[in-house]
Amino acid sequence: MSQATAERPASRGDARAKATGATLYTADFDHSGALHVAVVRSDVPSGKIASVDRSAAEAVPGVVGVLLADDLPGVLCGRRVRDMPLIARGVVRYAGERVAVVVADTRAAAETAASLVEVDITELPAVFDPVDALDEAAPRVHEAPWSYPGAVVTEVMHPNLQSLVEAGDPDATAKRLAESAFSVEATYTIPSTKQGYLEPQAWLAVPQSDGSIRLRGTTKSPYRLREQVSTCLGLSPGELEVEPTPLGGDFGGKGAPGDAPLCVALARRFRRPVRLVLRSAEDLTATDARHPARVTVRIGCDPDGRLTAMSFDAVFAGGAYASHKPGVTVNLHGAVEAALGYKLPAWSTRSRVVYTNTVPKGHMRAPGATASVFAVESALDELAARAGIDPAALRAANLLGDGDRDAYGHSWEQARGAQTLEAALAALVTSASVPVPAGWSSGTGIAVYCRPTSAASTSLRLIPASDGSFVVEVPIPETGTGNHMVVRELLARALGVSADLVEVRQVATSQLPGDPGVGGSRVTVGMAVAVEELARRWAASEHDGAVEVESKASYPPVLSYAAQIARVAVDPDTGQVKVLELLSAVDVARVVNPVAHQLQIDGGAVMGFGSAVMEDSLEQDGLVWAANLGELKLPCAADVPRLTTILLEGGLGIGDANVKSVGELTNVAVPAAVANAVANAVGVRVRDLPVSAEKVWHALQASESGKVAR
Amino acid sequence: MRLELTLNGSPVDLDEDPTATLLDWLRSLGLTGTKEGCGIGVCGACTVLGDGRPISACLTLIGTLDGVSVLTVEGVAQSEPTLVEAFVDCEAMQCGICTPGHVMAAAAAKLAGIGASADVDSEIRYWLEGNLCRCTGYETIVAALRSYLER
Amino acid sequence: MSADRAVFVSPTSLSGALEEMASGQATVLAGGTSVALLIGQRLIEPSKLVHVARIPELRAVHFDASRSAVRLGAAVTLAEIARNVELVAALPSLAYAAGVVGNPRVRSVATVGGALAHGDPRQDLPPVLISLGTSVWLSGPGGERSIPAATLATGFMETCVAPDELITGVVIPLPPGQRAHYSRFTPQSVADYPTVGVAASVRCDSNGTITDAKVALAGVASTALTVDAAGLLAGVPAGDADIAARLSEVARQAAADAEPIDDRLGSASYKRAMIAVWTRRALLACVAG
Repeated sequence: MSQATAERPASRGDARAKATGATLYTADFDHSGALHVAVVRSDVPSGKIASVDRSAAEAVPGVVGVLLADDLPGVLCGRRVRDMPLIARGVVRYAGERVAVVVADTRAAAETAASLVEVDITELPAVFDPVDALDEAAPRVHEAPWSYPGAVVTEVMHPNLQSLVEAGDPDATAKRLAESAFSVEATYTIPSTKQGYLEPQAWLAVPQSDGSIRLRGTTKSPYRLREQVSTCLGLSPGELEVEPTPLGGDFGGKGAPGDAPLCVALARRFRRPVRLVLRSAEDLTATDARHPARVTVRIGCDPDGRLTAMSFDAVFAGGAYASHKPGVTVNLHGAVEAALGYKLPAWSTRSRVVYTNTVPKGHMRAPGATASVFAVESALDELAARAGIDPAALRAANLLGDGDRDAYGHSWEQARGAQTLEAALAALVTSASVPVPAGWSSGTGIAVYCRPTSAASTSLRLIPASDGSFVVEVPIPETGTGNHMVVRELLARALGVSADLVEVRQVATSQLPGDPGVGGSRVTVGMAVAVEELARRWAASEHDGAVEVESKASYPPVLSYAAQIARVAVDPDTGQVKVLELLSAVDVARVVNPVAHQLQIDGGAVMGFGSAVMEDSLEQDGLVWAANLGELKLPCAADVPRLTTILLEGGLGIGDANVKSVGELTNVAVPAAVANAVANAVGVRVRDLPVSAEKVWHALQASESGKVAR
Repeated sequence: MRLELTLNGSPVDLDEDPTATLLDWLRSLGLTGTKEGCGIGVCGACTVLGDGRPISACLTLIGTLDGVSVLTVEGVAQSEPTLVEAFVDCEAMQCGICTPGHVMAAAAAKLAGIGASADVDSEIRYWLEGNLCRCTGYETIVAALRSYLER
Repeated sequence: MSADRAVFVSPTSLSGALEEMASGQATVLAGGTSVALLIGQRLIEPSKLVHVARIPELRAVHFDASRSAVRLGAAVTLAEIARNVELVAALPSLAYAAGVVGNPRVRSVATVGGALAHGDPRQDLPPVLISLGTSVWLSGPGGERSIPAATLATGFMETCVAPDELITGVVIPLPPGQRAHYSRFTPQSVADYPTVGVAASVRCDSNGTITDAKVALAGVASTALTVDAAGLLAGVPAGDADIAARLSEVARQAAADAEPIDDRLGSASYKRAMIAVWTRRALLACVAG
């Protein structure tokens, strides 16, 4: 382990274990004696299960059981809305839904048997597009969605609604838009994609001699998972414990209970360890993925470039179950916060999440924000073009400043959007040029994203050793973001000791009061606040025993901006887009660990780049055609553009540690920056992600033949 | 089927179904450093070396390995400390699930003489096109390879 | 110790391999990745696997004495081709294609024979071999035969190789005055099949007049597509002021002959347009300079 110094915080404690293959992930743990699970899935998006023939499957040597809905508790699970059964009961609502499960002594036997289960499903009408699903005559995905525990819809709403959030003043907004000197209206769409973690979802549920179950699995929120599974299966406290386990990536995709309730139910029934490791194809085609979206933005300005009004209307295809969404409103905060970054005299937003006969959708790094920012930031450029104003100037004139009140009425002590944008533009000027291929056109495009950070409550325990070192027990897994390292660094500083003397250890759920889980960009800030309290408590103690804290401190939220610029080259003969450079200016307060911080910025930018130019689950008529990583293209090292980072330091953070979040900042605005750059390069506007060569080429053909004005 | 191969420097006699994959066999021995990712040879999480060449363990039938010397990340951890140091020093990982595959790709790169061209950065990036990483954005991984290949 | 699902043999001679294949029921593999994939996806359940990667004559790269041709054994890997200094010099478009297919792991084990035996129209190597006038050599119980590479694939994932026959190698002529080029268009990720791949070669006499031209494409039909470029270009001086127009004619022909399908790599209409663009570009690369 490299020595920590003031200049160079200690490197992540798990680096060597990861580089040598010693780190154990869920699928690596010993599973001798385990029953292996294979899932039989519906291949149609909507239907009635007519019959299931298990005989051939049951005859496979090593098979212990083939279970249908009636063989398991008839419970419903979910993070907020509990609408998803363990196994489809009579009705299937999406292609990929569990219709039977096989348990066997080996994974091979389970999978062989699963392939032999014959399921006869009578197809029923299905609906795939969320706008179609809101039609009067659309098939109902659920008969009575308002009746599910946790549902936020009522009987008077459209029966295919999962969630509806509205804010602002639609009438005033429409009026202001009509009166505006310039306005544009456009609709933008994004497809589904997967979070792209390389470790498929997996579970290992082990019965204990006292009847309880110890669950190990791909969860980034062990306490929430324990709560959700316990609620779903009617378990009492102490009957379920979640083991600390590192994750092979998350990005929002490992917060849903997934197959955990099923595995726990199977472990309780068979009184043997139960192991389910999804194959990549299952993970890509049947687990929680990003919501596809259709967003319509109307935005206007006066001749000086002051924004007058914006109406924002998003419709998300939520999939067949609402169970993967944790939010109180069962909506996506990126859409709900769409009006956040700019001063808007009049505004209205509406975000609807709709039941569709597609794979149930969940969270992905800044949920709802990719769609919303793609729409708003593209619309701003279209407005700038209409008004004859430079896109950067349009933004600079309207971004929130210190003390400004946002559209939702919140006043931000600090809002550095304009400065962050300026920093990005300054860096563009000084950035070394990247060669543009001969005959290609080049262009630049900007986009800005902002998001609030708040401190969430969490718990920690500090255990001193006689040699002056410490163990700090944490409730969260290391998902890859380096969150354990951040805790170590923060605590070491707070205690005034070298980070080498602090060891971070994730503990099982029974060992600490609780935590909301990794995600929502809340870990650094939440941990910073908890660490401060822990250090205060330690200082006030006798220094002779463990000290614990369940942090309740509340601080006002702070705002973080990311301004990004894409430099692109476009081949006019083919439409091919090469992103030459991505500049990310990030508004930061105090950076705890510069290397980990930069990794989040780079990883985010590359994920955004993937969404911008190549990612698409290819959902068609309820089926996911990008069923493997050869078809769902994720960026490889040779695809990645030059990445340039500018940190705007000295920002206002939270707590004594003065920290803000960065994990969900740099992936969001990249697609808009790229689309804006393409428009700048060749004068065509792509309003549907990904910005593919074919779409650009078609737009070029159309603009040429139809002489369509820019 | 009886087979003889060398695994991380030690000779091994085995009797296995020749259509079993190298990945399944390695993991059944408790060598879990080699990961199952995409299962179709695209992501690189199962990269190992066969006679010094990088191969996808998930797509290698064990029957083809008679007489072959197989090196996994566990073996490289012992035999190539400078490679491990390069990854640690450059912090060439976050979640770490792709890291063994990248370490093996780096080991293979050295054996293949990668790093001699005028544009080492491009050369490394193209060498890595079959090793996906979703976390890091690749910058520190490329730096680790650069550092290792220069030593 | 698991029960064997298939008999697995690794003959070390061609005659040994043919004996093992005599029943016509055996599955041949070299690197075995394609077979592994098909078994994993439950698309095949072979009972006998004949591993041919250990047969010495299938592994050889042999330039004939006059250097008028080179023979590559069927089990020569793409990595071996890409880093063979002589092949890089003599057949740069082949060495380039071999070095760019897939990724280093694929190239470690994928073979020339395997690339041909698949009959996959998306693969890069077959059109490159076709554009170079390659002959494919096969051995079977009836003896040896050779056929032009262009006639090997008979349909989507189908070839005319008999079940008891083995591709033993390819012979690629090395005519003087030949310029060959391969362009693969990958607009999404570089690590992908090409939306269109165009392999072209142009041969000129000492006066700079085109004597032969070959064009073959990947990803545009149910097999690699061969275009009669010679018919349009033979006799034309490479430095002709009008050469661009002639090349465009070949490009148009290629687009007209192709039968592309809609898939993730592109719609049929887009692929058709790209065929024209990239055919012209590949030929231009051959005649320029």
